[in-house]
Amino acid sequence: MLRSRLKAAAVASFLLLALLGAVAATAQTSQPIAYSHRVHVTNFKIDCRFCHSSATKSTSAGIPSVEKCMICHRAIAVDRPEVKKIAQYWKEKKPIPWNRVTELPDHTYFPHKRMVNAGVACLTCHPGIDQADAAIQKQEFTMGFCMDCHRKRGVSIDCWTCHV
Amino acid sequence: MLDRRNFLKLGGATAFAVLFGGCDSIPRKIIPFVIPPEDYTLGESSWYASGCRQCPAGCGIVVRVSEGRAKKVEGNPLHPVNRGKLCARGQAALQALYHPERLAQPLALDGPRGSGRHRKISWQEALSLLMGGLKKAKERPASLLMLTEPMRGHEGLVAGRFMQAFGSPNRLAWDPFGQDAFLDGCAAAYGARQIPELDIANTRYLLSFSGDFLETWISPVHYARAYGAMRQDRPTVRGKLVHFGARLSMTAAAADLYLPAAPGTEGLVALGIAHVLVREKLTPQAAQAPASWKKGLEKYSPGAVAAKSGVSADTLAAVAREFASNQPGLAVAGTAAGSCTNGKFQHVAVGLLNVLAGNVGKEGGVLFPDRTAEFSRYGREARLLAPDPGSGYPELRAAMERMRKGEFRMALLAGASNPAFTIPPALKFSEALLSVPFVVSFASFLDETSSLSDLILPAPTFLEAWGDDIAPAGHEGEAVTLLQPVVDTFRDTRSMPDVLIAAARELGGEAARALPWGSFKECLEKAYGGPGGPMEKYLQEGGIFRGRKSSVGRLPRAPAKGNLPELEEATFDGDPAKYPLVLHLYPSIALYDGRGANLSWLQELPDPVTTAVWRNWVEIHPETARKLGLSDGDGVIVSSPAGKIEAHVAFHPGIAQGVASMPLGQGHGKFGRNAEGRGGNPFALLPAAAQAGCAGFPLQSTRIALEKTSMKTRLVRTAHPEGQWKIGNVM
Repeated sequence: MLRSRLKAAAVASFLLLALLGAVAATAQTSQPIAYSHRVHVTNFKIDCRFCHSSATKSTSAGIPSVEKCMICHRAIAVDRPEVKKIAQYWKEKKPIPWNRVTELPDHTYFPHKRMVNAGVACLTCHPGIDQADAAIQKQEFTMGFCMDCHRKRGVSIDCWTCHV
Repeated sequence: MLDRRNFLKLGGATAFAVLFGGCDSIPRKIIPFVIPPEDYTLGESSWYASGCRQCPAGCGIVVRVSEGRAKKVEGNPLHPVNRGKLCARGQAALQALYHPERLAQPLALDGPRGSGRHRKISWQEALSLLMGGLKKAKERPASLLMLTEPMRGHEGLVAGRFMQAFGSPNRLAWDPFGQDAFLDGCAAAYGARQIPELDIANTRYLLSFSGDFLETWISPVHYARAYGAMRQDRPTVRGKLVHFGARLSMTAAAADLYLPAAPGTEGLVALGIAHVLVREKLTPQAAQAPASWKKGLEKYSPGAVAAKSGVSADTLAAVAREFASNQPGLAVAGTAAGSCTNGKFQHVAVGLLNVLAGNVGKEGGVLFPDRTAEFSRYGREARLLAPDPGSGYPELRAAMERMRKGEFRMALLAGASNPAFTIPPALKFSEALLSVPFVVSFASFLDETSSLSDLILPAPTFLEAWGDDIAPAGHEGEAVTLLQPVVDTFRDTRSMPDVLIAAARELGGEAARALPWGSFKECLEKAYGGPGGPMEKYLQEGGIFRGRKSSVGRLPRAPAKGNLPELEEATFDGDPAKYPLVLHLYPSIALYDGRGANLSWLQELPDPVTTAVWRNWVEIHPETARKLGLSDGDGVIVSSPAGKIEAHVAFHPGIAQGVASMPLGQGHGKFGRNAEGRGGNPFALLPAAAQAGCAGFPLQSTRIALEKTSMKTRLVRTAHPEGQWKIGNVM
């Protein structure tokens, strides 16, 4: 009696977790605006740091403000449905609620400014983003991935460099 | 059915699920700004220098701002007043900035006058109501009243010029802890009516007469820092502090020697010390004291003083000898001494000790710098930038009479001193204010005073506003603080000087000529040579700091011969048979005069002596309590001839017997959810009658009785009352 109940509870909780996982997974790919990195980076040759402007100055690369989108899209491609969405956010003075794509493992410290200022190309850690119509994280940030690069470049592999 | 093993299994599974679920709480959204703030870099902080307005001390601050939000307030290391230090009240400024009860929009009365019911209106409507009122009052200019807290810097200049150009002399400033008695005392003892610089850092022997300079008096952060220097900054000298007073305050607790003295006898004790100095010719000045002083001081022998004050004759004589042999020494009297009905006498008597020790105008003594030197170009108007920090009590009383007579058509109120809360209710301030037909408040919060208004104009907090300040103490005229908005305004607010400048422009004529700027910011830019001029550097550093001056400014005249103060005894309202205890009121270290009561950080800050939080208490000696049949924590009705409030009893063995003390600041009826319903307002116990011979606001002027009552609430203390002392040992 009790055993079957326990089983049922276990199955139910796994189902719930699977559901949550699925929700999380879909949230990664859908964005409030179908923004294409390919169009901006490959077709129009816009430097990554134009939009991700704090990459050289801060730990985070930063997501552009609505104001920054509107610098160009006040005049460019204003009739596209996705651009109209930006204009609507701007009109309502509401921020765009982007979904997080790239995850950094827990208990790690990754300052963008250190890597970018040392000349590490964005595509080293974000491969394929220049060709992506919808941003996804292709490279998992495993410890091996980071260590390989740190060793090759001869920079610190001290634990406390990343795990502070 | 559920045995231990399965219980543990299920428990483990639940814990796992909870922990596992917790892993998913990384924010899934990235919300960028619509328009990023100026100088913004994601994840990086900027520090902006400004000035603190949480109390009138005028400290300099630096504020950490990241993502356009102010995150932390600290002291400005360059500012001479506080040199990088800041008190809890200053730190709590952030809570005022983010307070959910901040006024976000102008409010107009929506119901009977005084009902406190308001409706939201637009700024356009609010300004047209304001201009309507002003234009009507202009028919008889003297019918305009302005009642604020003491304003300093160009804010004071704008307000002063506005009233002058309008043609009304009725500009009042109210501060319940004004320094009237200290100013009068300085005028009489040193011949200079100003707040002197007390060089605590360089003194060797500090006599404190109910001094509260480490807590709330004038410039507590400055004095606390100087006190630290007096103790530890000199390799071979460790200054000594001796405290006389009715209560073991935080300052008293820091002293090497605390000598309980009956309330109102501080001046007498000072004369007792002066008697010993002169009798035994302990200092050159005492040896050369005029004959009239020698004769006048004869009757204040330590024995005679001991009988009235409770300080033993031998101890008093020993302190006098130590004071004389450890020069430079300094004598200071604080709020409790100055706010007795004989406050001026007490300050003169304490000043006499500095004169007899020869420490006037000397390092380690009392200095008289010119703090408005930077503004000499303003001539007489320089006083508007740095007015005497008096209470304004006599003027306010007179104005209340005139309000009742219907002499005013309109009143402009501003500032945190909240007269409807801090004026004793027996004086009926609210009733007087409501006899003015049109009342306008500039306020950030609805409190007892602003809620009486017909029109409320929301004001920014000082972290969102431009301004400048000249601190009342802590510098020798070499410091002007500049305030700048460290964040964009959170609500739809406009500062009082901005509104006055706009109103003057619309009134035209003389008013427009007196306030010729487009905004208050422009006024400051004209005054300090910006933008592009030196103002940029001043804003970066938090003000103009010229470095310590070597001169001591105006040296006061020595007091005239025969100018020995005549003994005045403090009087306390009420029949001692009916009201057995003398009430000792003091500014709360966290809430000050009550302006901090709506900030939860300050409410939960334990009182340094009783460790009580969030509520009011009455502190008495365990022996006093035993005679009255009271226990620690009991609910009591505190009654004076003027009023009654409820409080909890808190024992402390350090307080003088026959004295009951209460902190001010609690007991709000209307100041938001953190402030309301936290016990009675001790201001309500103060008498309405003016006290003869007392210029200021007499906080120490009544006797009280305690009557046990049952209360639903409990006094919460962070430490057990017996943590540091045993009730049994004292009783």
